[in-house]
Formats: sequence, C-alpha cells, structure tokens
Amino acid sequence: MAEAILSTLRETWSGYVEGLRLVIPRLLAMLTVIAAGWLIAALARAITGKVLGWLRVARLSERTGAAELLRKAELPPAERLAASAVFWLLFLGFLLAGVDALGFSTLQALRSEVGLLVPRLAGALAILVAGLVIANVVRPVVLLAAVNAGWPSASLLAGAVYLLTMTIVTAMVLDQVGLARPMVLTAFAIVVGAVMLTLAIAVGIASAPLVRRLLDERLAARARPESDGSSHL
Amino acid sequence: MSTILSDELLSGLMAVGQLDVLVGLPTLNHSDSVGPVVRAAHVAFNRELARERTALLNMDGGSTDGTPDIVRDASIVDRETLLASQSLRTRHRISAPYHGVPGKAAALRAVFAAADLLQARAVVVLDPEIASVTPESVAALARPALAGDADFVSPAYARHPLDGPLVTQVVRPLFRAAYGLALAEPLSGEFGCSGRFAARCLEQPTWESEDLRLAIDLWISGMATGDGLRVAEAAVGPRRLTARPRPAVAALVPQVLDALFTCLRLQEAGWAPGSRAIAVARSAAPPPPPDPPANVDAAGYATLFREGLSALGGMLERVLRPATLEALRAGAAADRPHVPDDLWAAVMLELAAAHRHATISRDHLVRAAVPLYLGRVASFAAELAGLEPRDADERLEALCLHFERSRGDLVALWTAPLR
Repeated sequence: MAEAILSTLRETWSGYVEGLRLVIPRLLAMLTVIAAGWLIAALARAITGKVLGWLRVARLSERTGAAELLRKAELPPAERLAASAVFWLLFLGFLLAGVDALGFSTLQALRSEVGLLVPRLAGALAILVAGLVIANVVRPVVLLAAVNAGWPSASLLAGAVYLLTMTIVTAMVLDQVGLARPMVLTAFAIVVGAVMLTLAIAVGIASAPLVRRLLDERLAARARPESDGSSHL
Repeated sequence: MSTILSDELLSGLMAVGQLDVLVGLPTLNHSDSVGPVVRAAHVAFNRELARERTALLNMDGGSTDGTPDIVRDASIVDRETLLASQSLRTRHRISAPYHGVPGKAAALRAVFAAADLLQARAVVVLDPEIASVTPESVAALARPALAGDADFVSPAYARHPLDGPLVTQVVRPLFRAAYGLALAEPLSGEFGCSGRFAARCLEQPTWESEDLRLAIDLWISGMATGDGLRVAEAAVGPRRLTARPRPAVAALVPQVLDALFTCLRLQEAGWAPGSRAIAVARSAAPPPPPDPPANVDAAGYATLFREGLSALGGMLERVLRPATLEALRAGAAADRPHVPDDLWAAVMLELAAAHRHATISRDHLVRAAVPLYLGRVASFAAELAGLEPRDADERLEALCLHFERSRGDLVALWTAPLR
C-alpha cells in the first residue's frame, strides 16, 4: 500500500518536474522576449519623440490646429501621442511573439485567431480613437456652454452627452469587430428605446406637472448672465 | 510701404503733403455711428486744431452699408459751424479700403504707414463704436504728441468704480502688473500718438501674426512701454458706446481674456525680463465720476460663480494651483461670494500662465474663467456697497497695486516649464 502511494507520488512529482523542466526555459524565453520588446519599444518611443521634436511637429500641429484639437480632447501633444503609439505597437508585437515562445498550442491558436481579427480590430480601434476624441471634445464644450448660459445641472448634461456619444461609439466598435452583432444591436436598440421612452413618459405624461413646476422654478427665475455685455467694458 | 497702402491711397496721400495731425478712423459697417465721429473730428480740425495741418483718413474693411460714403459726405451741422472757428488750413478727408486680412490691425497698420509717409507729428485713432467722442477729446488726444510731451496718449474716461469691471478688475491690473504701466484704459480703441511711435509700431514683425488681429488694442498700449517712449493720459470725459448689439457677457469675457493673454504672449520679450514702473503724465485732473451704472446682479453672479466653480472643478484643477482653487471654493461657500484682491490676483496670474503654456485648450480656459470673473465682480460690488466714489477709486488702485506686487509671481509662472 505504502509502496503504491510512494510510487504514485514519485510519478506525479517527476511529471511535474518534467513539466517544469519543459516550461521554465520557455517561460524565461517569453520573459526575455517581452523584456527586450519593452526596452526596444521604449527606445523607439524615445527616438520617435526626439525625431518628431527635431522635425518640429509640435509647431506644425499648432499651426494646423491639431494641437488645439488634442488639447480640447484632453489628450497629450501630438509628438507624445505618436511616440506612445509606436511604443504600444512594438510592445504588443513583442508580447505576441513572447506568447508564441511558450509553445502552447491553445495560445498559438488564439494568436492565429487574433491575427485574423487584426484588420477588423484596426478598424474598430480607429473608430474607438475617433469616438473618444469626439466625445472628449464635445463634453467640455457642452459643459462650458451650459455653465456660461446659466443652465441647471450643467455637469449632468455634459455627462449625458458624453455617455450617449460613447454608447454610440461602443456600438459601432462592437459592430466593426463583429462580435455578437445581433446581441449588440438588440441591446443598443433596447437601451436607446428605453431612455427615450422613459424621457417621454417622464416629461410628457407621468411627471408633466412636476416637471413643469421644476422647470418653471429652475429655468424661469434662474440667474443668467446679461445678454449684452457692454456694461462690462 | 507700397504693400500696405494701395496705389490709389498712395496718390491721394501724396496730394495731401506734410501733416501735423492725422486722424485715423478704422471702420467696418459703422454707418449707424460713424457720422458723429467724423463731425467731431472736423469740428476739432476747425476749432481746437485750427492752426494745424490736418487730415482724416478712414480705412474701411469693406463695409456693405455705405460707411465710406457717410464718411465722405458727413458735414458739420449748422450749430457746430457757428461755434467752430474758421479753418486756417485745407482739410483733407480720405476714405479708402485697406489691403490684407480684414480687421482693425490691418487698418491701423495702414494709418501708421500713412502717418509715416506724411511725416505727421501726431496721430489720433478714433473708434467708431464710441459715441461720446467730442472735438475736445480729439484735441486732447492729439495735443501731448503735438507738443512733443508724449509719444502715446491714452484716454482716461470718467468712470464710476462699478462701471466696466472687465477693464477695472481684469485688464487694467494685469496689464499694470506685466508692463509696469499704470494706464486706466489699456483696452481702449481710441488713442493718440506721435509720428515716432507710429513708425516704431510699423517696424514690428508682429503685424504678420494671426494673433495680432485678436489683441491689437492691447498690443498698441503695450508698445507704449518701449524704450525712450513717453506716455500720457488725457481726460476725455465719460465714455458712451453706440447702441448696437454686443456679445453677451459669457462671450465677452473669453474674448477679452484671450486678447489680454495673447497680447502678453506676443510682447513677452518686452515685459517679462525687466521690472520697472513707467511714469504716466496726466494732462488734466480726472473729471468727477458719473452716476453709477445699472446695479450689478450680485446674487445672480454669486449663483453662477458657485455652480460654475462646482461644475468646472476638474478643468480648473489643471490650470490653478491647489491652494488657489481651495481658496476660491472657500470664497464661494460663504453667504456672499468672497474673492479678495490677493486671491483674484493669484487667479488671474495662474490663468495667464496656463494660457501661455496651453496647459489646457486656450478656448476652454478663457471660457472656464467666466464664472470666476462673475464671482469676483459680485464680491467687489458687495465690498463697494456704501463706499464713497473716491474711496471706491482707492479700492481700485489698491487692487492694481496688489497685482503690481505680484509681478514676480507672474514672471515666475510665465517662465515656468509645463506642469
């Protein structure tokens, strides 16, 4: 009995040791690939930043209005953004190569699937970036306009506009990727429909007197800046 | 010069010959207000400046409402003719379009070029938006330069301390802190200057800058701080603007702040390195202040201040120092908003520096400043309630002195690297 237990334990441990003997070099290989990738990507980022600085991209982006757009979207300057993009592209490439080094068939299959998805992912990424820029530009514009017009709940309004924009962007991204398209479309339709219906019911039917009173109180007697500012000059 | 002045204008100016006083009048669709301004200039030519060789030069930006025709046809009305002395010299009146991008900067450049060409001893630039221009005020702006006593003459209006808070609370103190020049009206669209000043302005490369279009009035005032130039102020009575629609305060404040901060940026090489106070000669004692303006809606401003500060907190955190923002929040939490001089100076200096470094979008920055400005106006109006106008004027001077003392901080923030 004891012999059987010892034999099983020995076999199990030797199996583990054998497995570790196989995995550890691959793991180390993966880590070195990733570490080297990180270093190379960081170097490429620094070089890109320097080259773009040397090419006076900052001045060019100021002149073309791109810098102002990025500031409005609360994003870093163009040269830093481009350098970051180079870093992440290279680093992700090395990350996938590192995963390859592990030699796991499932991970390799996954990587192949991701590889097939790349064109669609690139499109989705472009939509996401454009959507984020638009949403980030729109939110402060709405916020500032609402605050300076003396509108109530300016933050709420700006947040709602941001959320709506991002909802649309998310739906577009998921549609582009092609993941669970019917579910995404249905969920989107349900959410938008529910919001609209809720608003319609709240404003039009159920809460009409309350909403009217609230609006009267909050809008009619609200402080507003003068429509003619000449007395300030 | 030939690129600034058209051939037609050049030949018209050549016919005029040498001048003592050139009055420049930049216009763009000012048919409703330009007539009285032209008449005031002409009465001044015939009466106050009767012995001088004078000309009126209207530089029009392409009006479609017949403004140049009104300038050409404006005549002295009978009553004024009786009062006016007989002209001793030929009077010239030229109206011409100017070259370049439409805007007051291009018009002023053409006026200065014309003054340089005609070797004018004095130049007076009038603003067709100011309805209170009189023959006396035209002469008051011209005389110090004619007499050789000043190179730049800025108007000093008789203002109630609560009138024009955008000037008294923002432009005047910050301009003084940066340039060391105690002008009452750095933003004024009318001024007088010597031919030398006009020539020096013409030499500047800044005319080619897109930003100058935005900040031309302040830029001209800033030019007065140049080496060896003498500055004077002329008391010209109360100021009244023409009755025409103007931007709402929520649009006006960003415009003025953008112009002010842009001007500081354009002229930073001139003001940032040195530290000096420039003397201003006053040509006459300031007249008594007129009646107070319409009551400031202090309660309404306070609400907009509190709500704006709360809603824009995230944005303001990126442009104001934590201690400044905290003090603003404390001031907003009080029953009546309290934005004392030192806090207001810190706010303005930090906003200016953030605009310089483009810490956030410059457009967002100047718009986010609107509630802060309204809070300061409400605070100042509450502080002034019950004060005599003279005491209130002293309060305005104290604010300017506070800004002046903060100059070191302004320069440090201005030259500091991006946060």
